[in-house]
Amino acid sequence: MMALIVELVLMPAVAFVVGLAMLLMMRKIAAKIQRRVGPPFFQPLYDVVKFFGKQTQISHGLIHDVGIIVAVGGYIAAETLIPVPGMTGIADRTDVITLIYFLMVPSLGMALAAGQCANPNASIGISRALTAMLAYDIPFVIVIFGMSWMYGTTNLVQMVEYQQAHGWGLFQAPLLAFAGLFALQGMLGKQPFEIYVAPAEIATGPMVEMGGKYLGSLIVMQSFSLYTAGILYTTLFLGGGVTWIDFLVKAFLVVAIPMTIAFQFPRYRAEQMLGSLWKWPVLAGLLGLAVVMWS
Amino acid sequence: MKELPVRTEGAFAKRTNPLAHVFDEFVRFCRSHSLFMLHYCTGCGAIELPPAMTSRFDMERLGIQPMVTPRQADILLVTGYVSVKTLKRIILTYEQMPAPKYVIGICSCTVNGGMYWQSYATAKVLADYLPVDLYIAGCMPRPEAVVSGMRKLMGLIKTGKAESWKDYYRRYDHYLGNQQALFGERWQTPTDVLGEAQQYGLHGPETEGEHTALLQQVQQPLIPHRMRLK
Repeated sequence: MMALIVELVLMPAVAFVVGLAMLLMMRKIAAKIQRRVGPPFFQPLYDVVKFFGKQTQISHGLIHDVGIIVAVGGYIAAETLIPVPGMTGIADRTDVITLIYFLMVPSLGMALAAGQCANPNASIGISRALTAMLAYDIPFVIVIFGMSWMYGTTNLVQMVEYQQAHGWGLFQAPLLAFAGLFALQGMLGKQPFEIYVAPAEIATGPMVEMGGKYLGSLIVMQSFSLYTAGILYTTLFLGGGVTWIDFLVKAFLVVAIPMTIAFQFPRYRAEQMLGSLWKWPVLAGLLGLAVVMWS
Repeated sequence: MKELPVRTEGAFAKRTNPLAHVFDEFVRFCRSHSLFMLHYCTGCGAIELPPAMTSRFDMERLGIQPMVTPRQADILLVTGYVSVKTLKRIILTYEQMPAPKYVIGICSCTVNGGMYWQSYATAKVLADYLPVDLYIAGCMPRPEAVVSGMRKLMGLIKTGKAESWKDYYRRYDHYLGNQQALFGERWQTPTDVLGEAQQYGLHGPETEGEHTALLQQVQQPLIPHRMRLK
């Protein structure tokens, strides 16, 4: 019991630190692609401390505060459902379907928070964020279904054990792996699919009225989202990890691929995003599903 | 929710924890290395900022990034001459930023009007209307000058000397008087500066005066627009 409590505290804490490192990696990749030096090593930490250390915090009401807590809390709960080397948390008691539900909570929390700000840009941003969720969730659910069918279980711990015995999911279902990577690009909200942040167009969308600790929480949330996406893909396709080193190398590599693609692209419009996400990854996913179910 | 205790400046000063000093210095260090700037591009100085931010001079290595909304920003960059109409927007923007906030006036025009010193439509000295932390003079200053000005501001923040945002609360009557002289007696902003000064314990003897009395007389309460479909 005590060990479980320690794991439940430790897993989000590790996620936070690794997520900040991923945030740094994202900015470093952007800098290298644009031939710049990029931020110093502790930059994400400086940003978070600065935002929480603001001396006047502007709240727009109770739901504004609660929504942010829901957004960060959704990810904190999601971290305990994904097994990492040495720690399973409650992953062996639940399954990947619960995780899908938890991964939708942050978007809804942000929608609540942005809704109370009563800023038109925030409303446009939220409507776009929920549209984006609709776009990437369909290939994502197909991928989850296909992989669960292939492994014969929805339990993430058993999936990792299966892969470590029979080889990585990436080689057994490459089409599903491609669809998953495509959906990941939308899930992280990176460049071709960056419709809801759109700094030049709707002035950072849902975050328009967020300052101080609210924006600090959203940076924490972003670092959680990078970490979750990285380790979920690693768990589904790359055989999880035996030690922390190979696990983290895989997770960082997975996150680096969408980042590298992102900074070469401009932004799609909302209907272009829906079109491309409902076409290519869904087609590849359905094909991969057919292959998995046939064999 | 109204009864929640709010930490004010007085409460900060009364702290006896010896480690609090260390913590404050750490926060100041982080603050100085993470500056998000809102560049209010009013004039020609704005053209020197893209080179300062992109690959040639790369401000991000100092932790300086552009931001697009006042709520997320720390620095308000006023780049160039400020016409009377523009100044209204600058003040609205400034009052929406969460403190600690810093104002930098770039170009000679913000110092003394520059080449527009004879113009009837231009506010000459920016510091009359807003507390300015730093001027970067020049017509226009090159990116090197902008970066060196930023480094100077970082030094001021690190040593705790960039506190002029408190001045806006403590001497609000002075700033409001200058604003009223320019915009007329019916000038008001959506932000309740006097209420914020009370809330954060920055209410000084010069916060209220004849100008704030005038403001309180003419102030219209903010009412939401009625929603209707055409």
